[in-house]
Amino acid sequence: MTSDVQLATRPADVSARDRVDAAKNLVVSFVLNGKPLSVAVAPTELLADTLREGLGLTGTKVACGTGDCGTCTAILDGEAVRSCLMLTAMVAGKTVETIEGLAGESDIHPIQQAFIDTGAVQCGYCTPGMILAAKALLDENPKPSADDIKEAISGNLCRCTGYTKIIEAIDKVANAVA
Amino acid sequence: MARAAPKPQANMGPPVPRYDGRAKVTGDARYPSDVPVASPAFAFLVTSAIAKGRIVRMDLAAAQAVPGVLDILTAEDTRELKHVKFAAGGAGASTSIQGLGPDIDHDGQIVAVVLADSFEAAREAAHKVDITYAAEEPAATFDATNAREESPEEVGERAKKLPKAGDAAAALASAEVTIDAQYATPAQHHNAIELFTTTALWSGDELTIYEPSQFVFGLKNNLAERLGIDAEQIRVVSPYVGGAFGSKAQMTPRTALIALAARRLGRPVKLVSTRDQAFTISTYRAETRHRIRMGARRDGRITAFIHEGWELTSRPDPYSVAGVEDSARMYGFGAVETRVTLVHADRNTPGFMRSPPVVPYIYALESAMDELALELGMDPVELRRANNSMRDATGKEWSSRSLMECYDEAAAAFGWKERTARPGSMRDGDWLIGWGCATAAYPTHLGPSAVRVRLTPAGEVRVQVAAHDIGTGLYTVLAQLAADELGVPLDMVRVELGDTALPPGIVAGGSVSTAATGSALVKACAAIRERLTAAPAQTTGGPSGNKLEDVFERLGIGAIEEYAEFIPEGGKPDAIASLYKGKPALGGGSHGEKLMYALGAEFVEVRVHALTREIRVPRIVGAFAAGRIMNTRTARSQLMGGMIWGISSALHEATEIDRRHARYINDNLADYLMPVNADIRDVEVILVPEEDSEVNPIGAKGLGELGNVGTAAAITNAVHHATGVRIRELPVRLEKLLG
Amino acid sequence: MRPFHYERAATPAAAVKMAGTTPMSPDQPSVATPVQYLAGGTNLLDMMKIDVMRPDRVVDINAIAETRHGGIEVSDDGMWLGALARMAEVAEHADVKHRFPVIAQSLTLAASQQLRNMASIGGNVLQRTRCPYYRDTSYAECNKRDPGSGCAALGGFNRMHAVLGTSKACIATYPGDFAQALIALDARVEITGAHGHRSMAFAELHRRPDDEPHMETRLAPGELITAFTIAALPWARRSKYLKIRDRESYEFALASAAVALDMDGDIVREARIALGGVATVPWRASAAEHEIQGKRLDERALAAAAEAAFADARVFEHNAFKIALGKRTLTRALRETAAMET
Repeated sequence: MTSDVQLATRPADVSARDRVDAAKNLVVSFVLNGKPLSVAVAPTELLADTLREGLGLTGTKVACGTGDCGTCTAILDGEAVRSCLMLTAMVAGKTVETIEGLAGESDIHPIQQAFIDTGAVQCGYCTPGMILAAKALLDENPKPSADDIKEAISGNLCRCTGYTKIIEAIDKVANAVA
Repeated sequence: MARAAPKPQANMGPPVPRYDGRAKVTGDARYPSDVPVASPAFAFLVTSAIAKGRIVRMDLAAAQAVPGVLDILTAEDTRELKHVKFAAGGAGASTSIQGLGPDIDHDGQIVAVVLADSFEAAREAAHKVDITYAAEEPAATFDATNAREESPEEVGERAKKLPKAGDAAAALASAEVTIDAQYATPAQHHNAIELFTTTALWSGDELTIYEPSQFVFGLKNNLAERLGIDAEQIRVVSPYVGGAFGSKAQMTPRTALIALAARRLGRPVKLVSTRDQAFTISTYRAETRHRIRMGARRDGRITAFIHEGWELTSRPDPYSVAGVEDSARMYGFGAVETRVTLVHADRNTPGFMRSPPVVPYIYALESAMDELALELGMDPVELRRANNSMRDATGKEWSSRSLMECYDEAAAAFGWKERTARPGSMRDGDWLIGWGCATAAYPTHLGPSAVRVRLTPAGEVRVQVAAHDIGTGLYTVLAQLAADELGVPLDMVRVELGDTALPPGIVAGGSVSTAATGSALVKACAAIRERLTAAPAQTTGGPSGNKLEDVFERLGIGAIEEYAEFIPEGGKPDAIASLYKGKPALGGGSHGEKLMYALGAEFVEVRVHALTREIRVPRIVGAFAAGRIMNTRTARSQLMGGMIWGISSALHEATEIDRRHARYINDNLADYLMPVNADIRDVEVILVPEEDSEVNPIGAKGLGELGNVGTAAAITNAVHHATGVRIRELPVRLEKLLG
Repeated sequence: MRPFHYERAATPAAAVKMAGTTPMSPDQPSVATPVQYLAGGTNLLDMMKIDVMRPDRVVDINAIAETRHGGIEVSDDGMWLGALARMAEVAEHADVKHRFPVIAQSLTLAASQQLRNMASIGGNVLQRTRCPYYRDTSYAECNKRDPGSGCAALGGFNRMHAVLGTSKACIATYPGDFAQALIALDARVEITGAHGHRSMAFAELHRRPDDEPHMETRLAPGELITAFTIAALPWARRSKYLKIRDRESYEFALASAAVALDMDGDIVREARIALGGVATVPWRASAAEHEIQGKRLDERALAAAAEAAFADARVFEHNAFKIALGKRTLTRALRETAAMET
């Protein structure tokens, strides 16, 4: 057991587990957008809900709840994941990045700018997840091929649908980075 | 990049970046469910597991025992809600089925609402609501034994309002060449990425609703009616909408339930429904069937056009799109006959979904055109040219029509002249190649709008209207228009939308927003300019410059604010008063004196694997003419998105129904297929210059619903060209090509 | 989802100890196992949200990824894959791609980048069916969820359902891809439990539905998959995964084939074939292998293999096409595998 998650004592009798579970009996520590923090959550609480409801970081969206759409994408230890299919307890000791952590103090991230410039934003609901998937890709592979880009973001659905422009935007960033 | 923002040509505005782009890329844009409310209760809907029958017993004990559960609303608790009449048109409830039981009228009907301290507790309790049903055999769709097809009298009554000209039967009988073909389209769901959410917040007798909406004034007024309170007690706020496509245009049953729950609890209530519930608690595009008979002369002139449509709807509601209104006018047919029959089944009521009438009906028409071209041995483009006309069979004239300009530009960009006509004659290794084309069309609707514009001496402009940017770009084009009209830099303009505290705007439907809101805006700006010019030339000792600040000082006022109302020509004088009451009136299209449509031509290449038959679309080119283009970047986005919708409609989308239970099967985003990034390759949009001073004061034709029309036919036509197999029932799935 | 006790284990031994050996009666479906191991969570949490799975206790085993069981070890003899390795890690591993291409391809062609980053390969092979009637608890009939209740899919919408290995009790398709690749390479699965360690041929792990579709695997309650071993057999390098689906990416297979061939010129010395998207379990097509073994891979042999693979297929209202598609998929996969440069 790591020190990042404190667990409630397990009742001796399973039938008597009562409702301790419904209480926020786990304290989970992790790094969010560069800042360490601890949250008290119920075991059932999902990372997406902690971010949205608990921490007010509503840039992370939930649009299917079953891992099918990609709007809840967050970056966990450098890799894009689905925050709607991840218990908050599972991020103990890890580093989480959300869309709110992307822009610098004075300027937005080049991927964000490229999305604006290429017209890759329409209704905007898929946008944060799409940008984070793109960031995780470019952090790992700064010069992706068009096919790499498509595959990396194929788990992010855009219904409006701006796919061509989204690919243009990511490609633009990849090709601008020396 | 040049492609991202096409260079404006004649009658096109500059491609300024999206006004709301920064808020959306940073996550700052607050969609309705993102708005923080103090200690909300979370709602979870319980929906019916049968499509027809009644609830015999509902046991809530286990659900109520879940810690954190605050309340569970059932039919008993909602008796005070008034029934709101179904009205197709962007106002009334999307369905007349508003009760929580005990009678069940469709699969997934809301039967209870669980409220709890946390979302997970609400969900757990909802799963523990134990319901016993007395189920009856439902009618799922067409051909079900107990579905009710309208009587010939009902059909005849409707046909009186549908296009008819000459003696089509006789013309068909004497035609040199004829075709007779039947087509079918499936049920489809909007599946906007943002779910259906509602947050309700009472402050005394005042109710605030945060809900993604395409028509906040409609929701406000209908909700008031349902709750039995004064509309002035309700404010609806929806500044950003995460996609809608028609699904958020009308009030659905959930809103009043959440408002009621919040009142009972004395606490804000937040509902984020689930994706599977989204299939049954709002509307969808209903399945349709078509029979088209055409007669033509050897030279290609079509002398007879008979289009019959069948549309599915719910038991109680006569929802119909009747796109024969459009198909019958698309070409200069000799004689025309049309008919539409509704079939009632045990389903939730369908509703508008992007380009409601034209998607199914133009698909059928444009497939039939391809079949006729083949029968005649004519190039499909030339068949369209042979029947291109500024007048339809009933004698109505077009206000402007650039169809063949679109065909010629798109054909050239696509390289259509390289096509060899014989099906199966183009191949690349293991892949069969097919090229096809079709017409895109969307009626130009007209609607009223109010607006308030404020100008300060510093040149700051504020535009306020309860219109809606559902991803379409309205924020941007209004900012551009205001900047132009008042001669200020774009970044000095602030636009506020989607709030019933603002002057009423039109429903974001029928691709009418830009024209209606823009026309009102132009009027308000003109009034402001007039007031500015009324400034005394110079007063002794006063400022003498022409700078705005000086003008204001000479006028002796701190700001100018103008409220303006726009009612389209021929519109009713009380159109704005009606808008305040949540009743939009849309005209135009084929209903006015002239035929008003935005048009386009789409060309696609499909590749079908010779052995395993997967179907891919490596490229698609569309050329479109839609009057004045306000912003070439947002226009391109809309049209490109539309074409991808068209690809999706042709190859992927279908809501599957279990015919025994009348229940949707693939009610999630893994099984309801829509394209992913990897499916989309080369999509090219060409904007064809067009001027039309007759459509509305700003000369713009709506184009948000243009791009996805005709695409499916272009693809099935291309699939036929690749394989020789004519698919007349969408979607095209590989099993239909295994032969 | 329903509440549960959350615990964490950092080693397989600790996990097994925490899980204990909850006794299960033979008619208790595996879906109802009261203790569940949580790795990526991509399948388990989904199933819990839709109320199909309702464990009392969840043992989070992600910390095991810090041990050897999160790693990939490749030697001249073959490969050892820790069960906690993520799908993406295995898919992107250079040696895996080069020496065991069917493994890398089957993982790359599955799910989406985010899900591949999260999901463990041990959990992946236990992925539950996508049968809509199984996934929706409002359908009373599902023998997999509720033994003896019937099968709603038999007379329902069954386009995605199986044509091989079906029974009167269940026609649900096994949805995964990686499992077929494991079968094509004669992989073994390592298992640990309260009664010690054991291993078995991976092809033996899944049980055909027969009369007991609720018993999905041969894992005993509380047993944990710890690793997969794959020998460097002669056909590993010439191996391929072909997946046919409606869209280009991010979709379950309509039909797929994992093929591994050991060729002597144009003669097939040894063949392994596993089929996906068409069967109730990861499906080894032994009869098809037999048709081409020792033969030249000409059109006749290809046709014979395809026929043999689907000789026992049984179709339902909406999935008859899967026989033709399955045959063509296998034919194409064999052709393309034979043509590989190795």
